[in-house]
Amino acid sequence: MNVIEINNLTKTYGKARGITDISFHVEEGEIFGFIGPNGAGKSTTIRTLLSLIYPTSGSATIFGKDCIQFAPEIKKEIGYLPSEVFYYDNMKVKDLLKYSASFYKKDCSKRIKELVEIMDLDLNKKIDDLSLGNKKKVGIVQGLLHEPKLIILDEPTSGLDPLMQQKFFELLEEENKKGATILFSSHILSEVQRLCNRVAIIKEGRIVTVEKISTLQENNYKKFKIETAAPLDQKYFQISGVNNVEVNNNVTSFIFKGNINDVMKKIAATEIANLWIEEPDLEEIFMHYYEKEV
Amino acid sequence: MNIFLKELKSHRKSLIFWSIGIFFMVASGMAKFEAFSSSGQSINTMMADLPKSLKVVLGMSDLDLSKASGYYGMLFIYLLLMATIHAAMLGATIIAKEEREKTSEFLFTKPVARKTIITAKLSAAFVNIVIFNLVTLVSSIILMGKYSHGEAVNREISLLMAGMFILQILFMVIGSALAAVKKKAKTAASQATAILLLTYGLSVAVDLNEHLKGLKYLTPFKYFEAKQVMYGGGLKPSVIVLSAVLIGVLSFATFFFYKKRDLNV
Repeated sequence: MNVIEINNLTKTYGKARGITDISFHVEEGEIFGFIGPNGAGKSTTIRTLLSLIYPTSGSATIFGKDCIQFAPEIKKEIGYLPSEVFYYDNMKVKDLLKYSASFYKKDCSKRIKELVEIMDLDLNKKIDDLSLGNKKKVGIVQGLLHEPKLIILDEPTSGLDPLMQQKFFELLEEENKKGATILFSSHILSEVQRLCNRVAIIKEGRIVTVEKISTLQENNYKKFKIETAAPLDQKYFQISGVNNVEVNNNVTSFIFKGNINDVMKKIAATEIANLWIEEPDLEEIFMHYYEKEV
Repeated sequence: MNIFLKELKSHRKSLIFWSIGIFFMVASGMAKFEAFSSSGQSINTMMADLPKSLKVVLGMSDLDLSKASGYYGMLFIYLLLMATIHAAMLGATIIAKEEREKTSEFLFTKPVARKTIITAKLSAAFVNIVIFNLVTLVSSIILMGKYSHGEAVNREISLLMAGMFILQILFMVIGSALAAVKKKAKTAASQATAILLLTYGLSVAVDLNEHLKGLKYLTPFKYFEAKQVMYGGGLKPSVIVLSAVLIGVLSFATFFFYKKRDLNV
């Protein structure tokens, strides 16, 4: 079953920002990464899913129900952690969590206690007096206290120290094992690589690709580095499948995806001094997606 | 219910300050009346020398200031201004503050419909306004009882407070409708206050210039005037109906536009 299904979602704000024709789905029990540079449209997509803003066209369903028409109902089972957390300043942490829990028709006190312990939170402090990282921790507890079936995280790790980040990831993996589906938006690749099964890459408001992390890393991408006697022409390797060509004196490097024979023939046709063929790391693959087409 | 209670709590302090303010407003006003009337000089002959425009601006035209009731009638316009400013700002901020304080990402991702949130918030504002009105009523009755020298004024005070209550509700929904419609909700409170001062200015202008009489329905401050309410007129059914219609339309607008709104986060 698909927990989230997004169909041709478009949101335009005047002329400038927004998202265009976004479609992807998140399956039940999956940790789905949503990755892209700042301003690509990750938050806009998430805010539309949560009906904080309304789409210009297209639609989305959560748990099989339209995310606008059935918003109050589906939000019972959603936990959301925004990228920047803001709460009522004059409230104590304790009061805020109680207030948050009062929206769900179940007893959350036990889970709050557990989460507060894991996150190492001081319940009697005023929200106003908390540091950014501690506010984020309140946000984490607040988002998870009702044991939601779908957890939506928008750049959740900013402000958390590495130790807390680690605890937070463990917490998420635990929730996932218990059956929660997670939509994890981030611009930090290593986080996504560590947690997620599949990713959607978004760039300038459009989905570039939706793939399994493992597929992205699979052998169909090769990184070539060739040392030749004399510098090669930049255009020498202009065949389909070759990307990110860099010529540095006698060394030429590029990423290749396609029929390996084509590129081998090209290499064989020239005088080479040395040759490296490697698996590219994810970072390089993403850079390839991120870079604006020239 | 939880939102309603939270809103009551977060406006408690400001309501207490407003209540203290309104009590002292009535107390200091009536104390001045006491000083006037005990000086043995007739206020009316003194006031007769004042130019009409000044009397209009000060809200004392056509009132018998030698009596406590007349003096209270003059004071009423200031109480009314305080009450409506409170109501307009309350109506605007109670709606706009989630976006202003960026807490909308918290509240509006909870499993509640927007109309439920607005209902809770407007109910809390309504309770605040009822309390404000009762505080004014009780302060007035107690303090007038002290200074009125036996003149029966409680009925007049109650009528004036009923009129004030209707205007409070009207300005509350002017504020909330502005907060729901405007893209930048933060500016709703100042705009609601601007509308209030503008319509008050218009009511003064209507008093000063006979030719503007036709405009009196445009300003709520002409709906329930002390001189007319106290001297036998009571509350006119026509303006009660007009207020009710305006309140209905503006409440509907608050819900309608807020439901369709893209929240600023």
